[in-house]
Amino acid sequence: MSDAPVLQVEGLVKHFPIQGGLLQRQVGAVRAVDGVTFSIRRGETLGLVGESGCGKSTIGKVVLKLIEPTAGKIVLAGEDVTALKPGAMWTHRRRIQTIFQDPYSSMNPRLPSGTIVGEPLENFGIARGAARDEQVAQLFRRVGLRPEAMRKYAHEFSGGQRQRLGIAKALSVNPDVIVADEPVSALDVSVQAQVLNLLIDLQEEYGLAYLFISHDLAVMRHISHRIAVMYLGRIVELADKRTLFTQPLHPYTEALLSAATAPDPKRRGLRKKIVQGDVPSPANPPPGCHFHTRCLYATAQCRVTAPPLLEVAPGHHVACLRRPVGGDPGPLSIPG
Amino acid sequence: MSGTPGPILEVRDLHTQFSTLDGIVRAVDGVSFDVARGETLGIVGESGCGKSVTAMSILRLIPRETGRIASGSIRFEGEELTTLTEEEMKRLRGHRISMIFQEPMTSLNPVLTVGTQIAENVVRHLGVSWKQGRERAFEMLDLVRIADARRRLDEYPHQLSGGMRQRVMIAMALSCDPQVLIADEPTTALDVTIQAQILDLMIELKEKTGTAIVLITHDLGVVAETTERVVVMYAGRKVEQASVETLFDEPLHPYTRGLMRAIPRLDVEADAAGTRPRLQEIPGLVPILTQPIIGCAFAPRCGFATDRCRRERPPLIDAGAGHLVACWEVDRVRRAA
Repeated sequence: MSDAPVLQVEGLVKHFPIQGGLLQRQVGAVRAVDGVTFSIRRGETLGLVGESGCGKSTIGKVVLKLIEPTAGKIVLAGEDVTALKPGAMWTHRRRIQTIFQDPYSSMNPRLPSGTIVGEPLENFGIARGAARDEQVAQLFRRVGLRPEAMRKYAHEFSGGQRQRLGIAKALSVNPDVIVADEPVSALDVSVQAQVLNLLIDLQEEYGLAYLFISHDLAVMRHISHRIAVMYLGRIVELADKRTLFTQPLHPYTEALLSAATAPDPKRRGLRKKIVQGDVPSPANPPPGCHFHTRCLYATAQCRVTAPPLLEVAPGHHVACLRRPVGGDPGPLSIPG
Repeated sequence: MSGTPGPILEVRDLHTQFSTLDGIVRAVDGVSFDVARGETLGIVGESGCGKSVTAMSILRLIPRETGRIASGSIRFEGEELTTLTEEEMKRLRGHRISMIFQEPMTSLNPVLTVGTQIAENVVRHLGVSWKQGRERAFEMLDLVRIADARRRLDEYPHQLSGGMRQRVMIAMALSCDPQVLIADEPTTALDVTIQAQILDLMIELKEKTGTAIVLITHDLGVVAETTERVVVMYAGRKVEQASVETLFDEPLHPYTRGLMRAIPRLDVEADAAGTRPRLQEIPGLVPILTQPIIGCAFAPRCGFATDRCRRERPPLIDAGAGHLVACWEVDRVRRAA
C-alpha cells in the first residue's frame, strides 16, 4: 500500500429533491449523503457498512459520477473530477470501475459474454479485433472462467460466474479504483467465498483500491482494511478493521456488532439488546446526532448538536459527543 | 395443545417435482423429517436445495400448473395432508398451520388496514364476531410489541417500516394459535438491527405460545441462534440432521463442513491487522436438477468422494444419538478433523 490516496472524497453531500403539490415544487430533500469525507490508498479496501437508507450506495454512485454531488469534492488519482461534465469525465472513467450486486441486470442479454467483457477495451480504444479477443481470453482465465465461455450468453452462466464476468469487465481497462456495491450479497455462501477470494487475489496482484459497500459485517471484516460505519448519510465511525471490531466507540457500531448473528449455538443469548426501533427516514432525519432516537447513551446535548467526526486516537475517527478526543475508551454510562 | 403424543408434523419420503421446458425438476427428492410439538426445527441450505419447496409442499401451495407432490406423505396431527381437498387445506392454513415469508409486503393486502387483515383471519377461522376479531388483532399487535397498537390497527401496510410489517405478519400468523408456524427466510430482507429484534421476538413468542416453528433459511447464524434441531438440504435431499449443538460442534457431511468453513466469521478472534486469511471455497456448482442424480449429489464437489459415491446414493445413517448423515465416507470425514 502506498500512502498517496487514489480516491479522496471531501465533504460530500447528495440531496435528492422531494417534489410535491400541484406545481411539483421542491418541498423537501432526502439527505442521502450529508457531509462525508474519506480517502482510499492504492491496494487498500475501504468498507462502507450500514443499514438500508444510510447512503452507502449513493456514495458509490456519486464517486462514479453516475449522479452529480450536491456539494463536496471528489479527487481521483490527484485530479479533481467533481465538476467535470460527462464528456470530460469520460477519460477518467478508465480509472474507476464498478461491480454490481446483480451483474445480470447490467449485461446485454443479446451479446455474447466475450463481447460484453471486451466492450470497454473497444470504447477506450485499448484493443480491437483479434487483439481484443486475446485480452478478453486472458481476463476470462484470470477470473476463473474458461475462454471458450466467451461465446456463451449471460443467461447461460450461474450467479457466481456472472459476477466473475462483471469483475472481468471492470478489470479490462486496468482501473485504479473499483466500487463494489454488495458484490456477494446475492450469492450463495459457497460461491461467495470463491468471489471474495478472487477479489482479494486481484487486489494484491494489481494494487487495486476497493470501495466495498455492504451491509454484511462478517464479509466486511473479511475483505476490508479500514471500515467506515454509516448512519443516515453520515460516517459515525471510521477505523482500521481490527480497532473497529475490538474497540468500537460509537454506540451505533456497538449496536450493529451486537445485532449480528454468529454461527455458534453456544453464543446464543449473549447478544446484547442495544437498539430498539427502526431507522428514521432520511427525508426527515432527527436533529442533532441522527442516532439519538435509538441511542441508550444519548443526553440532552445529543438531541441538538450534530457531533463532528473527530480523530480520537490515531486513525480512529468517531462522531459522538460522548467520545471526546483523548477520552476514556471504556463503556459509556446510561444517563439517568 | 392437543393431547396426542408423537410429532406434530411428519414428512415422509417427499418428492415434489416441477415440469419445465428443460425437463422435470426434482426440487424435493425423497425428504423425511419430523417436527416435535413446540420445537424449532431449522431447514438450511443454499438456493435451489429445495428448502422452500418443502415448506410449500407442507402447505400445499405448489402451483398446480407446473408442479406437484409426486409421492410421499405429510401428516399433521396424524392427518394426511397430501390428499386433503383445497377447501380442507384452506381451513387449516392460517389457523392450525400458518406461515410467514421473506417479503411481508407481498403477503399483505395493500388496500386493507392491518387490523382488518388480522381480524379477517380470526373471524374466518374461529367464527367470532368482527368486534372480537378486531380486539384479537389489537392483542396480537400488542403481543408483537408494535407501539401504539390501537392506532396501528387502522394503518395500511405501506405506512409501516419493513420490520414492522414483518411483526404484523407474525401477529397475523399467530392470531389463531397455530400448532406449527412455517417461517421462510423471515429476516433475510431486514436490516441487521431489525433482524435481531424479530429473531428475539419469534423465540420469545414460541416460548409463550408453544407453537412449533419450522425455520427455513440460508443463514447459519440465524440457525445457530434460533433452532433446536437442524436439517441440512442439498440438491433436494436431506444430507444431514442433528441437534443444533451437535451440528455446529461436529458437522459430519462434507457439504455442511464446507458451508461452515466458507463463511467469513465475526465470532472468531480478529486476525492481526491487515492479514486476510483465505476462505475455504467449495469448488464447482450445484447440480442441475433436471437430470437424474446418480450417487451422492455432492460427490462432484467433494474432496472425500470415491467411485462408490459417484455410483450409489448414500443412505442416511445414524452416526450416534440421532445425528443423521448421508455420506459413504463419514468415518474418513470424522477423522479428517
